[in-house]
Amino acid sequence: MNIQFKKGVLELCVLSMLLNYDCYGYQLVEQISKYIYISEGTIYPLLRRLKKEGLVSTYLKESQEGPPRKYYKITNEGRKTYMNLVEEWNSFVEGVNKIIGGDFNE
Amino acid sequence: MNRKEYINNLKFYLQDLPENEIEDIIYDYKEHFRVGISRGKTEEEISEELGDPRNIAKMFKNSLKSNQNEKDSPPKNLLKIIIMSIALGFFNLIIVLGPFIGIIGLLIGLYGMSIGFTAGGIGLIFSTIGLNLDSYFLIDFGASSITSIAFGIGLTSLGLLALIGSIYATKFIYKLIIKYIRWNIDIITK
Repeated sequence: MNIQFKKGVLELCVLSMLLNYDCYGYQLVEQISKYIYISEGTIYPLLRRLKKEGLVSTYLKESQEGPPRKYYKITNEGRKTYMNLVEEWNSFVEGVNKIIGGDFNE
Repeated sequence: MNRKEYINNLKFYLQDLPENEIEDIIYDYKEHFRVGISRGKTEEEISEELGDPRNIAKMFKNSLKSNQNEKDSPPKNLLKIIIMSIALGFFNLIIVLGPFIGIIGLLIGLYGMSIGFTAGGIGLIFSTIGLNLDSYFLIDFGASSITSIAFGIGLTSLGLLALIGSIYATKFIYKLIIKYIRWNIDIITK
């Protein structure tokens, strides 16, 4: 699949997951790769970019094993971006489905 | 690749990023390994799933770069780049070069002093103890041998301290120079 395209989709997936609860990196990777194939290491550059753009923030939280874990939390800005991306994604999927289903007028 | 190799490789490919940035990135990957291992995966499996450190490093660098490009997007034309280069060249030649040579001279002097102190101190100790070194090293204070040994040890330590100081100063200046060069490149290319 086209890399740029996949990156955009991955961003949407990450934001969606963070919408429900804060996650640490491994959790995100684990959940997402249950459903779609990703090269797991690529999630961290993405998270870093999202943080730079102010869509997510991070905090450290103690864990039972070893040093504290870094949790990612979605910001208000991130929620807005999520809304836009979902809208874009839905109209995109709808359009593509129509085309591949042959369901269009002339 | 085991955990250590993976982390080291990643560090290596990230090396031109700022240090705090690298540390922050590495923190995530160390955590990833820790959690993975606690779920019963081997270090090799985790490395495999993470993917080639070189590609990962590239993605980090790209994500930083694309951010910068968005901020200052107006493209500069060739003429402007040429004029900037010439102006910067003159500035460097006239204003920066002198102090630069001065600093390098100072560093060399500092090293000379450190080595001189150390050698002098060692020479003093040995000559006092009575080892027959070359007469070149003999320094006679007319003081008691304990005093001169103590003085020799002091001088040697001072020399070694100065040497350590000089090494730190060199590292610091080296970093400054790299920063300055980067700043130059940034001015021209942005």
